[in-house]
Amino acid sequence: MTRRLLPFVVLVAAVALLNGWLYQRFHVRVLTLAVVWALAGVAWNLMAKAGQISLGHSAFVGIGAYGFTVLLREGGTSPWTGMVIGMGAAAVVAFVIGLPTFRLKGFYFTLATISFPLILELLVSHYGEPELTVPFHPENQWKFMEFSNAHTYVWVGLGMLIVALLISELIDVTSFGFALRAIRDNEVLARAVGIRTVAWKSAAFMISAALSAAMAVLWVKAVLRVTVAEEVFGITVVIVMLSVAFVGGVGLTWGPVVGAAFLIPLAMFLDDSIGEAVPGAQELVYAAALVLVALLIPRGILPAAGRGCRWLATRLSPTPGLPVRQLLQRVVAPPPRPSPLLSVPRRPRRPVVLAQAGEAPVLEVENVAKSFGANRVLSDVSFTVDAGTRVGIIGPNGAGKTTLFNIMTAHLRADAGRIRFKSIPIDRIRAPRRYELGISRTFQVPQGFGGMSPLDNVVVAAIGASVRHPVDASMAMLERVGLTSKALGQLSALTVAEIKSLELARAMVSDPELLLLDEPLAGLNEAERDRFFQIVDDLVAPHTAIVVIEHSVRSLVRYAESVVALDEGRIIAHGSPDDVVSDPRVIEAYLGSKWMERARDQ
Amino acid sequence: MTEFLQFLVPGILIGGVYALLASGLGLIFGVMRVVNFAQADFMMLAMYLSWALFAGGIGMDPFVAMPGIFAVFLLLGMAIHWLFIRFVIGRHENHDAQVILTLGLGLIFQNLILIRYSSEPRVVAPSYANTGDFIGDIFISRARLYAFLLSLLVAALLFLFLNRTGTGRAIRAASENWEAATYMGINIDRTNRIAFGVGVALTAVGGAALVTFQSITPFVGLRFVVVMFAAVVLGGLGSVSGAFVGGVLIGIIQSVSQVWTSAAVKNVWVFALFLLILYVRPNGLFGKVQRAI
Repeated sequence: MTRRLLPFVVLVAAVALLNGWLYQRFHVRVLTLAVVWALAGVAWNLMAKAGQISLGHSAFVGIGAYGFTVLLREGGTSPWTGMVIGMGAAAVVAFVIGLPTFRLKGFYFTLATISFPLILELLVSHYGEPELTVPFHPENQWKFMEFSNAHTYVWVGLGMLIVALLISELIDVTSFGFALRAIRDNEVLARAVGIRTVAWKSAAFMISAALSAAMAVLWVKAVLRVTVAEEVFGITVVIVMLSVAFVGGVGLTWGPVVGAAFLIPLAMFLDDSIGEAVPGAQELVYAAALVLVALLIPRGILPAAGRGCRWLATRLSPTPGLPVRQLLQRVVAPPPRPSPLLSVPRRPRRPVVLAQAGEAPVLEVENVAKSFGANRVLSDVSFTVDAGTRVGIIGPNGAGKTTLFNIMTAHLRADAGRIRFKSIPIDRIRAPRRYELGISRTFQVPQGFGGMSPLDNVVVAAIGASVRHPVDASMAMLERVGLTSKALGQLSALTVAEIKSLELARAMVSDPELLLLDEPLAGLNEAERDRFFQIVDDLVAPHTAIVVIEHSVRSLVRYAESVVALDEGRIIAHGSPDDVVSDPRVIEAYLGSKWMERARDQ
Repeated sequence: MTEFLQFLVPGILIGGVYALLASGLGLIFGVMRVVNFAQADFMMLAMYLSWALFAGGIGMDPFVAMPGIFAVFLLLGMAIHWLFIRFVIGRHENHDAQVILTLGLGLIFQNLILIRYSSEPRVVAPSYANTGDFIGDIFISRARLYAFLLSLLVAALLFLFLNRTGTGRAIRAASENWEAATYMGINIDRTNRIAFGVGVALTAVGGAALVTFQSITPFVGLRFVVVMFAAVVLGGLGSVSGAFVGGVLIGIIQSVSQVWTSAAVKNVWVFALFLLILYVRPNGLFGKVQRAI
C-alpha cells in the first residue's frame, strides 16, 4: 500500500512547496499549466491502458471549454456546474463515437479519431462562434472560479489531478484494468476469454473524455480566459497530451505527471526566453520529445528508469538480495505485481439449465457453410457432440478445421447454418458471451497476453468467466498443470510445452462444458504428447465435452470416442476412430487420389 | 445541372492532385506498414520550396521546377527514412512509436518553417494562375487543369516504375509480403528506403502542383492530412491505384458538397465520408469485407 501512497505524498508535497515558494506571475502560470497538462495526460492515458492511441481528445477538451463558456455567458451558470454538464456531454459523445470506432483495430482506430475534433471545429467555427470571451465575475470567487489569487488555481488543479490519479489507480487494481491490459495485449484472445472488449473500451473512453472536459474548464479559467475553437479543438491539445503521456510512460498512471513535470516547464521557459524570436519554440519541445521517445524509450521515462535502476542495482550490489537493492527497486521500479488486488465478484451469468449426460447434445452444428470470397471453406457441415464425450476432427491442411472452431467461438460468422449449444441457438451471440456460456478454446498458434505473467493470463480468463476468487482459482489451475514455479515469471520464458499447458489452464479455469483444442500436440515431443491428454482428462469435469483438432491421427485415435473427417470443407466420414481412419475417402484425402489409383492398379 | 457540373469539374481536377498526394502515403503504407502522419508536412515543405524558387529571384515556374523538386524530396525522404523511420519499422505488434515519431517529425517541419518564414500566407502567382477557359458554362481554371494533367503524367510514370523496373517490382513484392520478399533476395531496408523516398517525392510533387491556387502557411498540411488519409482509406490502405481513385472521389465530394453547404464546411463532408468508409468498409471500396460477430 505504501508503494501506491508514496507518489501521492511526493506529488502533494512538491506542488505545495512550489506553490508556496513561487511568487512571480509567470512561474505560477508554469506551475498551473504543468498541473493542467498532467491532468490532461492522465485522462488521455486511460485509453492508452487498452493500447488505444487517440488523436481525437481535443474534441472533448473543446466540448468542455465551449460547454461551460456558453452556459456561463447565456445563463450565468457557475463553471462548476458547467464542468459537470460538460463532462456529461463529453462522456455521451465519447460513447456515441466509440461504439462504431471501437470495432476498428489498431491504427484504424487512431486514424478515425483524428476526424472528430476537425469536424467539430469546422462546425463550431462556421455555425457558431469561433471565439468566445469568458465573462468576468469577480463578485463570487468560488462560485465563478474567479480567484484573485493565482495560487488557488494550482490548488484546485491539484485536487482535480489527484481525483484523476485515484480513478486511474482504481482502474489498475480492479478487473477493469485487467480487461484493458488484456485488450492491449491481444484483443482477439481477450474476447475469447469473456472480456467484453467494446464495453470496457467504451467505459474507459467515457471516463477519459469526461476528465478531458473537466481539464478544459480549468485550462480556460486559469490560463486562456477566452475560448477559441481553433485552440481548444486544435491538434496541439492532443500533441501535448501525447507528449506528456509518452515521455512519462504510456498507459501508466503516473506517466503523465512525470512527463508534464519535465516538458511543460521546459517548453514554457524556452518560450519565455526566446519565444519572441523563435515563435515555434514551445511546439518544438513537444515535437522533439515525441521523436526522441519514439526512437530511444518507446514506453517512456518511468519504465526506462525502472530498467536503469534494476541494472544499476545489480551492478552496484556486491551480494544479490541486499536490502538496499530491494528498497531501491521497491521505490523506483516496483517488480511485476504478484497478483491483482481485487475483482468484484459478480453474479454468475450462466443460465440455470445445466446439460446432463443423456439429454440433448451439448453442441449441435447444422449445415454450416463459410466462404472467403470465392473460396468455399466449409459447406454443409453437420454433427453433434454429446456431453462428456471426446470428438476428434481430422483432415488435411486447408480442410476448414480451424475455420469451424472460429465459427463455434464467434471469431468468424458463418454464411449459413445453425449452431446450438445446450439447445440454445448461439448464432447471433458474440464471442465473450459464448465463453461465459461455457465454450472454451485453445489456439493453433498459442496465444497469450504478452505483457502479463502466466498467472495473470489465467486470471483474465477467470475474471471473464466471473469466477468467484479469480486469483486463487487461477493459481490452483496452474498448480494442476504444473506451472506453479513459473506463475509470476515472464510469459516469454515458457517452453512450447509449458505454453500449451498454460493455454489449457486458461481454457479450463472457467470450468467449460465444451472445450475446443486446436492442434494441442503440435510442437510437443513424444513424452509430452502422452502426458498432455492425461492432464486434460485430469482437469475436465465428467460432463465436459471435448472437441480436438489434431494431425497426429495415432494419438487422436487412442483418445477420441468418435472422429469427424473433413476434406475441402465437407464431412467425408464420421464415426468410430477405427472406421474413419480405414475409410478409403479419408485415405484418399490425406494421401491424394493418385496414390489411391496407383494402389488400385497394383 | 449546370451548377452541379460547375462543381463537379473542378472537383475532378483537384481530385487528381489529391490522388497524387495520397498515392505517396499509400505507397509508404503498402510497403512498410507505416502510417506517416508527417506526409502532409512534406507536401508543405515542397510548397515552400516551389514558392522560394518562384518568388526568390529566379522566378522559376512550379511546373518547371517539378523534376528538381521530385529529386530533392526523393533524397530527403530517403534521408528521413535512414535517420528515423527505419528504427520503428517491424515493430508490428506496436504502432505507437510510428505514430508519435511521424507526428513529431511533422511538427518539427512545421515549426522550423514557422521560425524561418513566419506564419504569413505565401502565394505563387504565375501568369496563368487566375486565368481559365469556358467550355460551355463551365469555367476551367488553367492552374487546376495543369495540375490535373501533371497528376495523370506522374501516375503513368509511377505505373511504369512499379511494373517495369526491378526496384519497382521489388517495392511491389515487399508490399505484398515483405518476409517472402526477403527470401527472394530483396534487400528490404534498401527497398523501404527507396519506397519512402518515392512516396515522399510523389506527395511533394502534388504539393508543388497545388501552389498556384493554394496559399502556403506552415500549417497548411493540417488541412490536407485527413484528405490524404481519406483518399488512401477509400481506395484501400496500401493500394497505390486505390489511393488514386480515392483521391479523385474525395476531390469530387469535397467540391460537389458546395452545391448544398458552404465552402467553409466542405471538409466536414470529407471527414464524415472518411469515417463512414472506416466503419463500413475498412478495407476500402474495392477491398474484401470480412466480418466477425
